[in-house]
Amino acid sequence: MANVAEPLVAPDQEKETSTKDELEPGYLVVCWNDPVNLMDYVTHVFQKVFGWDRQKAERHMMQVHEQGKSVLARESLEKAEFYVHQLQKYTLHATMERDA
Amino acid sequence: MKRVSADDKAIIFQLSTRERDMLVQILQTYPVVPPAHQPLSQELRDSQVTDYQRLLEEALAEQRAANKGHLHTWLTAADRFQKSKPGLRFTLERTDSEWLLQVLNDIRVGNWLQLGSPERTGLMPPKLPPKFLPQWLAMEMSGYFQMIILEALEG
Repeated sequence: MANVAEPLVAPDQEKETSTKDELEPGYLVVCWNDPVNLMDYVTHVFQKVFGWDRQKAERHMMQVHEQGKSVLARESLEKAEFYVHQLQKYTLHATMERDA
Repeated sequence: MKRVSADDKAIIFQLSTRERDMLVQILQTYPVVPPAHQPLSQELRDSQVTDYQRLLEEALAEQRAANKGHLHTWLTAADRFQKSKPGLRFTLERTDSEWLLQVLNDIRVGNWLQLGSPERTGLMPPKLPPKFLPQWLAMEMSGYFQMIILEALEG
């Protein structure tokens, strides 16, 4: 198994059984700071998972580093779960939270 | 270890036999992070999220099993490490770079967890008990290989 190098894309097709709550972009994808993940690695992962340029990825990486966390995306439940899965595949400390 | 050449398909590194032995040795410890290590959410607790949490854990477990299988094949490829002067040449196909970075980071984070999640990495703690030396070494060496691969991908 080998991962493709292209940016990962969240699923656009929602399940027919999805509820209104699941479809609304009311969930935040959050990356939390930890002392172990290397800064260049975190930048690289953000570029790969979200398809961002290096500048934007570095901005979010520095926010994680300096402020303890960064909100990376605001998505539906399904897409937020997808992104958290991708980030956790890279062993980043990422969760999804409800947008207050 | 350092990059010596690259093209669209692969990056060639030069490394010493000691670095090769260290790389193989730490890769063979994969996976190190415990299953269900991370929650899907820190705040959400409803049944919907519980279902997603279960699916996430299953997906990550499948991913780790696939990575472990691929790792064995990858390490035993006859042309993975070739003799060169000086040392060895190591070929990393670009299609393997993301997978290898994930494996190395699992090893780094997993050993960091075994060390008790210290606030500082990079310098050996002055009072590190000798029994934790292998974990500290694996954490630092996996970070070392990660940085070289990341720099090679950038360059």
